Amino acid sequence: MRDDPSVIMLVERARDGDQRAWGQIVERYGPLVWSICRRYRLDRADIDEIGQTVWLLLVEQLGGLRVSAALPGWLATTTQRECLRVLRAARRYDLTGSPLESQMSSDDDDAMIEQEILAAELNAALRAAFADLPPRCRRLLSMLLSDPPFSYAKIAAVLSIPVGSIGPQRARCLDRLRRSPYLTRFLDRETEDNEAEDARSSDAGGGQRA
Amino acid sequence: MPEVGSVPESWDDEQLLAALREALRAERAVPPEFVEAGKSAYAWHNIDAELARLTYDSIGDPDRVPSMRSETASIRALTFTSAHLIIELEVSGESLLGQVIPAREGTIEIQTRDGAAATVPVDRLGWFPIHPIPASPFRLRYHAADGADVLTGWINL
Repeated sequence: MRDDPSVIMLVERARDGDQRAWGQIVERYGPLVWSICRRYRLDRADIDEIGQTVWLLLVEQLGGLRVSAALPGWLATTTQRECLRVLRAARRYDLTGSPLESQMSSDDDDAMIEQEILAAELNAALRAAFADLPPRCRRLLSMLLSDPPFSYAKIAAVLSIPVGSIGPQRARCLDRLRRSPYLTRFLDRETEDNEAEDARSSDAGGGQRA
Repeated sequence: MPEVGSVPESWDDEQLLAALREALRAERAVPPEFVEAGKSAYAWHNIDAELARLTYDSIGDPDRVPSMRSETASIRALTFTSAHLIIELEVSGESLLGQVIPAREGTIEIQTRDGAAATVPVDRLGWFPIHPIPASPFRLRYHAADGADVLTGWINL
């Protein structure tokens, strides 16, 4: 699930001095760091502080690196640890052990972190797939996704197409999105997981797949 | 919103559109300055100094013992350790006192995240005072007269 070759490449390029690769890492995983901090209900000043700490730690790790393949997991657990540190300092809340130990999170927290990692990976893949669509599809989907959404009449006017063709174009654009290599890569990993799962349930005689 | 971790290929158009909406929303929710600050962290890449890691922080230590001057009620004590030396810090009231072990003369540079830096001398016993205590996170870079160059992690007092 986490050994995304493009992430490994970005990390390697950033380590070798490519600042743009670093920028892409931050853009891609900024939402992950941000949303974990939000889950801990931290205020903006604390979140900014934690973000800085996490990215600086990652910069330092680039050289010696154990993180490349597992980057999302590393970022998530490092962010979580920093959030807990800030919360503990704020509450004068002494838990056993040193503040650098990461195991003081509860099972609920760990499940939340796992969920955030999955969501961040899927969201990043969806954004990459969306950015890769033809401009016409991006415009159409953006109008459909705007809040409130554009009416079909307005979309037809902006794109200079008949109202009747919006439905079919929408379907075509979504199909392109679905078949994007960015999502396929995500899908392949998911499928492998599912197949492994299926194999296990077949062994147990409980396979229910059509 | 489809369940996280489900298979995109099996999503119908509405599910896919909802997932895309969520993905774009998650990105928009992040303030641009937050991302820019993360990008600027790259300036710290390839700093040619030995890193000293935080190995002790009195916050979170129930058995805390003032590490340097036991007659003083310290508020916070921190220890940074690198391969070759230790930098200890102790906050007492308005003052921040540090010590480099083993003691060697040199300078301590106090770096803040906005790129500003101030320098204080380290005496031959390894002591260095920092006044006032920086309000924002800072890190210390120690240049010893004999060439040692050590950088601490970020400190937020």
